Amino acid sequence: MRRYSVFAGILLIALNFAAAQTSSSPGSKLVNSLRYKELNWQIPKVGVDVQRIVLENGMIVFLLPNHELPLVDANLLVRTGEIYEPKENMAIPGLTGKLMRTGGTKNIAPDSLDALLEFMAASIDIGIGEESGWGSLSVLAKDIRLGFKVLADILMNPMFSEKKLRLAKEQIREDIRRRNDNPGRIIGREFNHLIYGDHPKGSILEWADVKNIKRDDIIAFHRKYFCPNNVMMAIAGDFNPDTIIQILNESFAGWSKQQIELGPIPEVNFEYKPGVYIVNKDISQANILIGHLGIKRENPDRYAIALMNYILGGGSFTSRLTTQVRSNEGLAYSVGSNFDISSRDYGLFTAHCQTKNSTAHKAITLMLDEIRKISQTQVDTQEFAMARDAYINQFVFNFTSPGQIVNQLMSLEFNKMPPDYYEKYLDNIRAVKIEDIQRVAQIYLKPESLTIMVVGNPADFDAPLDDFGTIKEIPLAPPVIR
Amino acid sequence: MKILIPGLLALLLISPPAVPTDDIRLDVKELTLENGMRFLVLERHESPVFSVVLRYKVGSVDERPGITGMAHLCEHMMFKGTKLFGTTDYEAELPYLRKIDSLAELLTIEQARERNPFYKGSKDKVDSLKAEIHKVQLEETRYIIKDELWETYLRNGGTMLNASTFSDGTQYFVSLPANRLELWALLESDRMANLVTREYYSERDVVYEERRLRTDNDPSGYLEEQFNAAAFTACGYSWPVIGWASDLETMTRLDLNEFRDKFYAPNNAVVAIVGDVEFDEVKYIAEKYFGPIPPSTGLPKIATIEPPQKGERRVKVKFDAEPQALIGYHTVAAGDPDLAPLEIMASILTDGRTSRLHKKMVENLKIAQSIGCGVSSSRYPDMFMFWLTPMGDATLEANENAIYAEIENMKTQPVSDWELQRVRNQLDANYIRMLRSNMWMAFSLSGNDALTGDWRYIKNHYWERKAVTKEDIMRVAKKYFTEDNRTVAYIVKTPGAQMPARPQAVRPRVKGGY
Repeated sequence: MRRYSVFAGILLIALNFAAAQTSSSPGSKLVNSLRYKELNWQIPKVGVDVQRIVLENGMIVFLLPNHELPLVDANLLVRTGEIYEPKENMAIPGLTGKLMRTGGTKNIAPDSLDALLEFMAASIDIGIGEESGWGSLSVLAKDIRLGFKVLADILMNPMFSEKKLRLAKEQIREDIRRRNDNPGRIIGREFNHLIYGDHPKGSILEWADVKNIKRDDIIAFHRKYFCPNNVMMAIAGDFNPDTIIQILNESFAGWSKQQIELGPIPEVNFEYKPGVYIVNKDISQANILIGHLGIKRENPDRYAIALMNYILGGGSFTSRLTTQVRSNEGLAYSVGSNFDISSRDYGLFTAHCQTKNSTAHKAITLMLDEIRKISQTQVDTQEFAMARDAYINQFVFNFTSPGQIVNQLMSLEFNKMPPDYYEKYLDNIRAVKIEDIQRVAQIYLKPESLTIMVVGNPADFDAPLDDFGTIKEIPLAPPVIR
Repeated sequence: MKILIPGLLALLLISPPAVPTDDIRLDVKELTLENGMRFLVLERHESPVFSVVLRYKVGSVDERPGITGMAHLCEHMMFKGTKLFGTTDYEAELPYLRKIDSLAELLTIEQARERNPFYKGSKDKVDSLKAEIHKVQLEETRYIIKDELWETYLRNGGTMLNASTFSDGTQYFVSLPANRLELWALLESDRMANLVTREYYSERDVVYEERRLRTDNDPSGYLEEQFNAAAFTACGYSWPVIGWASDLETMTRLDLNEFRDKFYAPNNAVVAIVGDVEFDEVKYIAEKYFGPIPPSTGLPKIATIEPPQKGERRVKVKFDAEPQALIGYHTVAAGDPDLAPLEIMASILTDGRTSRLHKKMVENLKIAQSIGCGVSSSRYPDMFMFWLTPMGDATLEANENAIYAEIENMKTQPVSDWELQRVRNQLDANYIRMLRSNMWMAFSLSGNDALTGDWRYIKNHYWERKAVTKEDIMRVAKKYFTEDNRTVAYIVKTPGAQMPARPQAVRPRVKGGY
């Protein structure tokens, strides 16, 4: 292998927290006796490790050459998505992304495009979601020119073949038909819908939203959002920066800047929906999801919340929920909690587990106890140190490959995060004090306002769930697909 | 411009892309300790991290009826601590463990009675013994430090920490900052040598919940279990990795200890480390930590062979879910020269949008939402499988016919130059892409070494696949794809079908009659 260092400069960052164990197992003494060498690395920066270039057409490009393997990978982000469109258009973004890849271009018929990419052992994917579009190209370095030419053709000149549109719509219909086959899928969908209603974060895609979409709708959507000044691209791998810029300029020749008007963004209505919601399904295991709305990503308490959630149920086996529900009681295989700190608008706090119907009440009781407890008493120093050390020592894994580095830095700018986000990240984690854990738990966890949802068979529950709140049933109607 | 692209395709075909894989040297250094433990090291100094996989050559195929699911339960128990970790005082725990074992012995007797109609077994007795075990286990927790291994890894920056069990093997993996190699060796050698199977009975319940999650209430998982049970009649691939429900209710801690002692030993283990480490350092640390562990003398030497199948097996599975199907043919074990042509055939059939069955069934006929296939590369002869999700009201029969017609075609018509070259180009690219991830490469090295005894199988098998000819494909299509060698399992939508969970007492099988 040809070796090349991603990390050009060497700046020592003392990541070596003396991760001293305070527990008193004989093993912890052995661990404490180990000594670790300093890690030589630096947090990659735009302008130092990664080049940021604005092409004449307005496209922002991030470059990180690396010659270890003869591969080139590009990822792109586009500011578009369901969030900018009225609700009745909710299926259009997803279909557009799908059809850009499958529907051919002005220059290449759909089947030839598939054949060309597969013969080159290259791949291109395009997708459009709630509030971004994304794309990727992976190509052998020797095919770099052709790879970018095809990617550019797809972005600039998609044809949206009628035949492929019909196929994509029928595939969605089949997916809708199958949406009640798996309890995990049911609870995820119904929970988000209950909390967010018809906001894009919670709306449920129905066949009625899909069936009348025309090729013209998709053409119009593409035209509205796809222009170079609305695209960012991150490229890593075996290339020379001057050559790649020349390739990009050639490939995207004729694609010009365009005025973009992004539609008004619907705001999440911050409202708690307390109660017990049951989806009655004849299965042997109850699927439980408990939660409420949380924070927006700019909230300065996000670091303290991350550590709080780690202690409660985010730190997998070492968390309180796992210790109680899984380890002590053997009630569930998968149990834990998640507090979203990365969403632009209000994200969710959730706790989940799956347990046999006959222990559903017991499991919910244990989970609620833990959610209450973390705001009632200060966490202990061992738990706190554990959470903080894990966040600090795992940080290096955000930057382990050229592709990952360049994508992280592009995403920062795309999401309008501060440019020094990563440089300040460790300080922000270190600034969290032990008493902050209880403080943020009190502010951001509202045990009395939790939505408790269960997919399962209530006839077999160990006790009725009405002591957790008023019970409402969510009917599970067969999806309409005609 | 429209003409350009087909022209371009033709050009690519005339001059196949230069094979860049010759540049990719797999500079793997290896070490075998005196106790038989193997270490494979691929130094990669791109980033100050490494990934490591420790693979034990034990999986569900090494179990027997009565203890199905034991290899996987063993994997769970490997996180419960040792004599050194997870406890403040191991000696003090011993009386609790002995008490639990004696209660479990009584429980086994009661469970056997409860299941035997000739006895008046008592469910109350079973339940009270279970409650007593649970109580003693909770008392023991005063000495237990929960999940200390997990905590130690995470505190030291471990990511991707987990383990997995399948029919042929069990693997323990983690990515760590480059300076944590010795920590890894300390923790892994300790749990290889000093495991304490504390909190066994609550963990067995956890696994039962995992079974409910992945199998009993998941249509794909349940279908796969039913498929394997029909396709294999003798070989250990017939039972599920997670274990049969009734075994998960009765296997004891002492059963597990016996299984563990036999298989968890240095001469049954392979380690692959990929990343920012130095071989000499690995060598020093390997000898220091793993060198003193004695090898196992109880490794099994030979296994049951699946007899030839004589007639198609069709399995109807009622489940509250839309239809899906699995279709499989018995094939070969890893190392058999027919494996490579079977793999190329699978790729031509369903890899990518240009593949034959995707084009035909998903895009043209629109009778399938998805179709995939693949051939397993396993320790013992395994299967070539198709995974089918029908579209809308399309029948299973229509889908089966489409697949079988294409197979018949492959028996007599050579695949095209373009198809074969497409697959070869992708083999080259995948060979390079596997090196992108330290963890992926560590899985590949340890997996191939465990399966074949030599990690170089990665490279040798790559060349075997590149050398596959059109004739090879026709030959294997004829040899394995016969109706008599086929098993088909399919879901028939039936609301409420997966409910009855309680095992029923079994009527004794009496020969000769009274």
